[in-house]
Amino acid sequence: MATLKTLVYLILYPGLLFIFFYSTFAEWYDRKLYARFQNRMGPTHTGRAGVLQPIADFIKLMSKEDIVPERADRGLFRALPAFGLAIVSVGMLLLPLWNYNLASSSPISFSGDIVVLLYLLSLPTFIFFLAGWSSTNLFSTVGATRVLTMLFGYEVPLFLTVLTPAILANSWRLAEIAAFYRQQPLLALLNLPAFIIALICVQAKLERTPFDIPHAETEIVGGTFTEYSGKKLALFRLMMDVELVVASGLLATVFLGGFPGGLLPGLINFIIKTLLVISLLSLLRATTSRIRVDQVIALSWRYLAPLAVLQLVVIILVKGLI
Amino acid sequence: MSFEIPIGPQHPALKEPVGIRVTVDGEIIREADLRLGYNHRGVEKLAEQKTWTQNIYLMERICGICSHSHATCYVQGVEKLMEIEPPKRGLYIRILVSELERVHSHLLWLGVAGHEAGFDSFFMYVWRDREIVMDILETISGNRVHYGINAIGGVRRDLDEMQIKHILDSLEVLRQRSAYYEKLGTTEPSFVARLAGVGYLSKEEAISLCAVGPTLRASGVPMDVRKDDPYAVYGEVPFEVCTAETCDVLGRTVVRIKELMQSYNIIEFLLKNLPAGPIAVRAPRRAKPNEVVSRYEAPRGENIHYIKSNGSDKPERVKVRAPTLANYAATIKMLKNGFIADVPLIFAAIDPCICCAERSVAIVDARTEQEKIVTMSSLRELSLKMTKHQARKREAEWPL
Amino acid sequence: MNDQALIDKINEGLKDKVVVITNPAPRRIFFKVTTDNLLAAVSWLKHELGITHLSTISGLDLGQSFELLYHFANNCCALTLRTEIPREQPVLPSICEIIPGAILYERELQDMFGITVQNIPDSRPLLLPDGWPAGNYPLRKDWKYERPPEVIPGGKS
Repeated sequence: MATLKTLVYLILYPGLLFIFFYSTFAEWYDRKLYARFQNRMGPTHTGRAGVLQPIADFIKLMSKEDIVPERADRGLFRALPAFGLAIVSVGMLLLPLWNYNLASSSPISFSGDIVVLLYLLSLPTFIFFLAGWSSTNLFSTVGATRVLTMLFGYEVPLFLTVLTPAILANSWRLAEIAAFYRQQPLLALLNLPAFIIALICVQAKLERTPFDIPHAETEIVGGTFTEYSGKKLALFRLMMDVELVVASGLLATVFLGGFPGGLLPGLINFIIKTLLVISLLSLLRATTSRIRVDQVIALSWRYLAPLAVLQLVVIILVKGLI
Repeated sequence: MSFEIPIGPQHPALKEPVGIRVTVDGEIIREADLRLGYNHRGVEKLAEQKTWTQNIYLMERICGICSHSHATCYVQGVEKLMEIEPPKRGLYIRILVSELERVHSHLLWLGVAGHEAGFDSFFMYVWRDREIVMDILETISGNRVHYGINAIGGVRRDLDEMQIKHILDSLEVLRQRSAYYEKLGTTEPSFVARLAGVGYLSKEEAISLCAVGPTLRASGVPMDVRKDDPYAVYGEVPFEVCTAETCDVLGRTVVRIKELMQSYNIIEFLLKNLPAGPIAVRAPRRAKPNEVVSRYEAPRGENIHYIKSNGSDKPERVKVRAPTLANYAATIKMLKNGFIADVPLIFAAIDPCICCAERSVAIVDARTEQEKIVTMSSLRELSLKMTKHQARKREAEWPL
Repeated sequence: MNDQALIDKINEGLKDKVVVITNPAPRRIFFKVTTDNLLAAVSWLKHELGITHLSTISGLDLGQSFELLYHFANNCCALTLRTEIPREQPVLPSICEIIPGAILYERELQDMFGITVQNIPDSRPLLLPDGWPAGNYPLRKDWKYERPPEVIPGGKS
């Protein structure tokens, strides 16, 4: 029975199938919302209101010609998309969705899993860097250096703000943090500044406007993905969708009280809360213009990091009081 | 480590082909070089082989955005050569179209600037409202891009009361929207962060490099052909020359938005004071030997045509200098010591119109010996030979 | 400053360097100098009259000679300075020292008329493609356009 459950967990829910369908749905939601913010229609053609459009795009890209540049590091160039997709999909398994027990730890929910998840979310950045660097294209190289430069900006504030609620909840386990804030919703309000900073940092991590600097189309063409095509590009795009879902799931767990209630209510909770986070990210994307890479660093270290530290201090003081 | 990055001839930031090669040191540009000629069509040479009237339509096709600018500039010069005076109403309609064109061109630029800065929402909104002015142009001339409204000696289409009312109504919407974009474009923090201080061009440099149009005016030089050399009816239309002192891309944005507002005022004035009468006079077929310098303030700056006639029905020489060419020298200056990220913005800020800037002669020659040279007729022969013994489709029979 | 005042000033300042000066239309002045006096005239215009805006340089093929028209402008007048060089020896001094913005127009002249501009800071072709056959100057009147043979890129003959 346990084996069956594990298999279901890995393959059906929240494993590969669910990841695939939900992340494409999230992409559709993001695209549609972004389009409506811009007074456009967004996808309309495939499926009801275009909901199948990301899947159609995926299939189309999979069937396109796949070119590996002659001077690229072939092995690395080929392995990276699959590797990246695998990393973010593992991140999805760590979200406390179902099949965990608050009382005892298990391989998918243990003390310290928040750190593992943050680590898994950091790796895609290096994947992007390697992808850009190994394709030896000039635009990719510039994109790759931009990826790393940005990493030094947003990573520290993101870690600080995501760990702030953990400190208040006195736990390093995602399921316990979520449970803590479900019991004391008022304390979750204290984390509001941290939530806003974390949203901005997640936006930067996902490389969306205003932080779409590594693949700024009008400056360096495709950026890190200039040389990628066909199947590899499809996998990379799917990877970014999954990353969007995992990152918004992480924010929903830590700041919005997680996904209680077992299989079905947990699923509904998950959908509502992640879509809420994605809506906020879409709004941010629609209302800003792309900034320069030096401005990202300035923004992070001048505003985001000090504010995150301030928030941490406040939380530690509050923790002393209660 | 410094290396050279090619921007163009094909690049997402460029809507038309031009080659910019930037030598970068990390993210900072040390050297920039322009390579022109990808859009070279031989208009000047061709113009010597066409009649005066045919050339109006040729000049209109120099550019897809400021098409009316070139046609008007040319027509004004030819009218001087032929010594005819177009009627007042014709001139009013001609200038009305040219101001509407300025509105549509500046709105287009504003959207492109938003897109180059990665502010796609701004782009979508501005271009939606640009449709209003495109519709107005369509009601006046019947066309959206090449209006074909100029004729030697006047214009080709008249305005009626309904059209005037439609334009005035639409103008109100445009005014409101432009005021909103002025607020958005100059206060949205991330957008302003991208524009302010970028592409600095001091007043002295702008003058010495012979920049024109909004690029020059944003450096604080109030130079506008409409004011300095009032052609057509600009002598009697009240308007101001808009300048900015910031010398950067933000200044160029502000100048363009202010000019939009001025253009709305001019359009309103023209429509309210539209004189009655004919719209065109008959033009002779030939012009006496003479020469003329015709200047016109296009949306991008000063447009100048030098036309020389030799007594026949064809011009001896038509020299076209579009505003973009005049701004290239300044662009190189602005690009140096900037960021790669600013290349599209700085380049877009002069509102480049590459097809205007490169007109003269076009020839694509055989590149290398390896390439096979084929004439159209030999291709046709080849295809006939290849298909000769094949059954034609409808005669084909099912083999079973 | 009206046209007549400007003409008087030019006559006074450049004296016998001016070959002929005309005022065919309001705000339009054409005057001619010899090629030797070109640099002196341009620098006089810039420094004494404050006319710094060069609109463009037009070239004209007159058969036996080339005529160059330097279109200047200030806020009241469009001033055209013309000079003539012989076809056999088409050499012209560069004015980029005085007016840096002239570089593109001078390069265009080199391309289109085969005029050698002396001391030009950058003498690469501006508009014509790489591998353009030498000695072909498209805007000369005796140059005829011939449709090039069509080419299949990469095809083998």
